[in-house]
Amino acid sequence: MSPTTRLAGLSRRTRLLALAATGALLAATAACAPQAPPASDASGGTDDATLTIATTTDVVNYNPLVGNSRSDYWVTNLMYPHLLGIDDQGKKTPSLAKAWGYTTPTKAYYDIRDDFTWSDGQKLTADDVAWTLNTVKKDKPSGTFYGQLSNFTSAKVVSPTRVELDLSKPDSSIVEEIGFWGNIVPEHVFSRASSVATFPNDGKDGGWIGAGPYTLTKVQVGQSYTLDRVASYPLVEGGKPGAAHVVFRVFPDVNTEILALQSGEVDVIANALPPAQVDTLAKTSGVTVAKAAGLGYAHLTYNMKNPDLARLEVRQALSQAVDYGTIRNVVLRDQAVSTGSSPLMPVLTDYYDPKISEYAFDPSAARSLMEKAGYTADSSGMFPPTFRMIYSLQDSVTAQWATLVKDSSAKAGIKIELQGLERNTYLAKTAKGDFDIYAGNFAIMDDPATNMTLTYLPGGVINYSYVDDEQLNTLIQKATVTQDQAEKVALMQQAATIVHENVYDNVMYTQNLAFAHSSRWTGFVSQPSELLSIVNPESLASARKTG
Amino acid sequence: MPVAWLVGRKLVRALLTLWFAVTVTFLLLRLLPGDPALALASPNMTAETRASILASYGLDKPLVVQYGLYLGQLVQGNLGTSFTQSIPVTQVLGARLPWTLLLTGASLVLTVVLGIPLGVLAASRRGGVLDRLVQVVGVTGQSVFVPSVAVLLLFAFGVRLGWLPIGGAYDTGVYGVAWYGDVARHLVLPALSLTLVQLGAYVLTVRSTLIDALGQDYTTLAQANGLSPRRVLWKHALRNALLPATTLIGLQLGFLVGGAVLTETVFAYPGVGRGIYEAVTQLDYAVLQGAFLLLAATVVVANMVTDVVYGLLDPRVSTR
Repeated sequence: MSPTTRLAGLSRRTRLLALAATGALLAATAACAPQAPPASDASGGTDDATLTIATTTDVVNYNPLVGNSRSDYWVTNLMYPHLLGIDDQGKKTPSLAKAWGYTTPTKAYYDIRDDFTWSDGQKLTADDVAWTLNTVKKDKPSGTFYGQLSNFTSAKVVSPTRVELDLSKPDSSIVEEIGFWGNIVPEHVFSRASSVATFPNDGKDGGWIGAGPYTLTKVQVGQSYTLDRVASYPLVEGGKPGAAHVVFRVFPDVNTEILALQSGEVDVIANALPPAQVDTLAKTSGVTVAKAAGLGYAHLTYNMKNPDLARLEVRQALSQAVDYGTIRNVVLRDQAVSTGSSPLMPVLTDYYDPKISEYAFDPSAARSLMEKAGYTADSSGMFPPTFRMIYSLQDSVTAQWATLVKDSSAKAGIKIELQGLERNTYLAKTAKGDFDIYAGNFAIMDDPATNMTLTYLPGGVINYSYVDDEQLNTLIQKATVTQDQAEKVALMQQAATIVHENVYDNVMYTQNLAFAHSSRWTGFVSQPSELLSIVNPESLASARKTG
Repeated sequence: MPVAWLVGRKLVRALLTLWFAVTVTFLLLRLLPGDPALALASPNMTAETRASILASYGLDKPLVVQYGLYLGQLVQGNLGTSFTQSIPVTQVLGARLPWTLLLTGASLVLTVVLGIPLGVLAASRRGGVLDRLVQVVGVTGQSVFVPSVAVLLLFAFGVRLGWLPIGGAYDTGVYGVAWYGDVARHLVLPALSLTLVQLGAYVLTVRSTLIDALGQDYTTLAQANGLSPRRVLWKHALRNALLPATTLIGLQLGFLVGGAVLTETVFAYPGVGRGIYEAVTQLDYAVLQGAFLLLAATVVVANMVTDVVYGLLDPRVSTR
């Protein structure tokens, strides 16, 4: 048989194979084909409307005790309530808990609402709250929640609406921090898992059970996540969430999300807008831009394990070699406020100390400080030490101002070598202290005592400058214990003054945030930080389609 | 050489290739900078939490032990559990695989459907304007980077003209038959991106082998027998010229799979490629290992099938 004949013979087989493959492919895609919902749910009226939200990442984990990504948080937050919320000044507000506080320095309590119900009809009670706290402590899931429980020993139910917490030592911040960061999960669902740390909560066992305004009902991996309205949600006026369905759709990046909003493919962008896009979108017909306060800060941290950076004059020189005003004006388009080079940001109105003022941008003074520290500039005017500054390439704002910091420092004769890194490498290098200068930001720094414990106490997990100052340590430790708010504020202000004077941290600005949504929707409630944005449960439950 | 022996030999080679791919993937992932615990948990975690996370995924064990355990799992058909999603890797990949098959399958079909006529056209008008044009376009297509083409198409047809969707595999709220149309609309730009970058190689191969075939004795004989030029070209010369092109399809599958990772990322297409992109950002070793094994297996199997088919088509190959 000639090759030609063989080929001709095989062609029929090939055609059959191709037919079979096409059939298999169609069958595979048919399995993915979504079924139309009942007609009453798809009418598209204002009461049955679907709110489509753009996000840039998939939901990785449906377990709120583990999930760590933005999309995880946004989706699970709509199902699993927090005990406390937060206002624009970082003050905690009632949510599932109506009241909270301490009965002794090592005993705390939450009084919870009695009108929350899980979506399967079971009441949400103090049992769920105590079980969640005790189980997170026992199973140690990797999320932020467990990190808040270091001084927590156990929780017990004293009535259907009251939970009491035993603490291992006095901690005047723990009740609010647990209340704000932790989601409460249904004991009758999560207790089936051997450990909540490894429980995927992927809805395979009868779907998701939540107590928020929406419950996840359908997942198309890599594509969309659909949540349906619950019958009753006590935290929204009238008790009924506005949109019948909320759909999170995955897009490659924020720029594509903006295009999708402009073309009407989505109604809301969950991510904060890049500063450069805010004004343009605000002027776009059919698009509304909502503003939210920032509760975090961007900063430069000088690694004091480096002998050069251990010298105060060098840190002071570096702090005076940054053009803070230009960074805020040019890179952040005036959408940031100065913190006065203090970790107590203006947004924290109770704590902010106006007496602490921003480091001046003064290259001549910076040069003098370097000379005072004993360095001699070479013929090109540059001093001998070169500092390696790391930043995340995924953080476009920091990546932009890192170059400005390098250029302005060069004017003072200080050479900075930029090292932009992929996020995982950046985090690993940060954790190892493998940098001279760290450029980055913290998203939510809501409680000064807790944050200073982590940031400035020896061994603190985000003490990136490796500061160990006896006087500072004492002030922070006192602040974490005292129940007297006035005393706490005074202690924090003294601590902030020490941080400022010694340049233990160079806190540059708080970025205010902007979120975009279609003008066909109203009623959104913006909350501080990108984590809450306008896709927090209260906001989405309140949103209404106008026509 | 019997077909069974041919297939057996190819199978052993394929298994060795897969073992090599598995080993290299395993080692390369461990060489990546970064800390899987940091990708999983808050940077605020304590040292105790970090140790606990690493231990729970066996990442605290020596590399050789991790490798041994991984191979042991693999031979039992267990790809492990996703670090970030806490579900089996097979489940993670299973949800995404149909989309990647659809994308690469559509692109492959499109390449063949467009590539053969273009190659024939160029070869039959050798030296003419059309031939030169096809050559220039073919070489250019081979030289460009998939994401560049993808972004250009997205900008032109998705953003500027607004004819086609800018991302995803389908719109929400579309059901039944309309859903298939919607899937097809979403498929156009990603499939076209992949097709455009691999079409050149295919066209140029068909062209050169067809020119070669047209100079062979059997073609001359067919012409001498009075067969029409069209019949000589399509029935005699092309059929033999397609043998190397068949091999190329197998080889191109590797490029297709690699291109799919980039294309799916640009278009937020929910396939394995986009899954790989997300797993990289989360340092999810288990998903990455599974995904690369799946992709390597796809290429290996495709090449093996190509080899076997080629052997069946051309007896000279199977006796070597």
